[in-house]
Amino acid sequence: MSECTINVNDVYKTFNVYLDKASTVKEKLLFFSRNKMEKRQVLKGINLKINKGEVVALIGTNGSGKSTLLKLMTKILYPNKGTIEINGKLTSLLELGAGFHPDFSGRENIYFNASIFGLTKKEIDEKIDNIIEFSELESFIENPVRTYSSGMFMRLAFAVAINVNADILLVDEILSVGDEHFQNKCIDKMIDLKRQGKTMVFVTHSMETVRKLCDRAVWLCDGRVKMDGDVNKVIEKYVEATK
Amino acid sequence: MTGVFKNLYNYRELLKTSVKKEVRSKYKNSFLGVLWSFLNPLLQILVYAIIFSLILNNKQEHYAIFLCCGLIPWTFFSTSINKAAFTFVENGNIIKKVYFPREIIPISVVTAETINFLISTIIILGFVIFGGIGISKYIVFYPIILIAQYLIILSISFIVSSVCIYLRDLQHFIGVLLQLLFYAVPIVYSQEDLPMQYQWILKYNPLTYIINAYRDIFYYQTSIEIVPILILILASIILLIIAYMVFNRLQKGFAEQL
Repeated sequence: MSECTINVNDVYKTFNVYLDKASTVKEKLLFFSRNKMEKRQVLKGINLKINKGEVVALIGTNGSGKSTLLKLMTKILYPNKGTIEINGKLTSLLELGAGFHPDFSGRENIYFNASIFGLTKKEIDEKIDNIIEFSELESFIENPVRTYSSGMFMRLAFAVAINVNADILLVDEILSVGDEHFQNKCIDKMIDLKRQGKTMVFVTHSMETVRKLCDRAVWLCDGRVKMDGDVNKVIEKYVEATK
Repeated sequence: MTGVFKNLYNYRELLKTSVKKEVRSKYKNSFLGVLWSFLNPLLQILVYAIIFSLILNNKQEHYAIFLCCGLIPWTFFSTSINKAAFTFVENGNIIKKVYFPREIIPISVVTAETINFLISTIIILGFVIFGGIGISKYIVFYPIILIAQYLIILSISFIVSSVCIYLRDLQHFIGVLLQLLFYAVPIVYSQEDLPMQYQWILKYNPLTYIINAYRDIFYYQTSIEIVPILILILASIILLIIAYMVFNRLQKGFAEQL
């Protein structure tokens, strides 16, 4: 069980923040000296090993680099220095329903969204009933997604993402989906996935969820790992520090 | 390199749905729908035929047919490149939020345009059949020419789509460049019409060979010059590999640039 699924090795990430961005050739030529740029270092040498089956929470204040770290893991962003190794199929729930097309029906969007996660038609065919059942949108599934309420939209998106059957799941601050009933259902599903031995990484500010789901917490502060270890101990220190 | 194909194979469903979406969205919300695939090139041919044969007095026999054999493959080329230039900015929303192999986007743009081109080929066939030229056996070369053209377009699309994210001006510049290029390919005129001192322009333009080959099989009803086409395919494969490497380097910064 000590097989390493995510290995973050001395990762640095810097964003270029333009104060006065010259995005056109004209501006670049005319104002090349004026092109002020500020380098903002978001991650400063992160080392993190996550083993198979571990459920880890990333905690920290806003701007501490949690979401950036998740984006690096899913290969939306790439590090400036250091390496990230991923072993296994990875799905990220960073932003729900990113690929949804408002004019297509719920069912069509399930197919499209699931294909973004790398599923084949056959695999989606097998899962579609589960997805619809989980979303509890049976009677609306043929309607275009633009007619959905935001809660319904989120439920559909979450139902797709959770049924992708990945080995590694990255979740960013989305467990506040829908009403309390649906939230509990999501957490139950997460616990179920945990039992199946999936690796999960959460970013959340809800310490209650962290306690319920995770066995390890990593506290990021100012782009560095401040504390890493047993969930209760880390939260205790974290809450103390942020008081 | 095998990793590239494996990754694409794993995401084949996304590729399929993206192509479908691309084809369907083209004429979405338009009253005539897919009919525009025919009407658009037909009207274009009409415009050029009026200008060049009536006003500029071009003496080419069956000028409309001559024109259509060049214009339709050209439209395939220019719309693909034009779309590739804008595609990542349009899809910025998903690029920033989900991971999937980014090369799927230019590939699906070019493939969707290929499907449109296949539909438009019906127009060429209609012209040669009803224009009194008829269909020759040399039409068997059609797939080879298409492959050569597809590879060229795909390579250029990889480069254009990725560079355009970093240099947004290029998007608009490409439109002008394409307009210029239009006259540097024998579309509205034939290769022999150009004065000797400008012949080199056509000689070093790969599109000349593509357009001439289409014209050979449909209009002149002769065999194509097979050697240039085969060299072209070979060269395009090399170009495609280079273009993909450029694309792959640049794609790492996509999410930050959008």
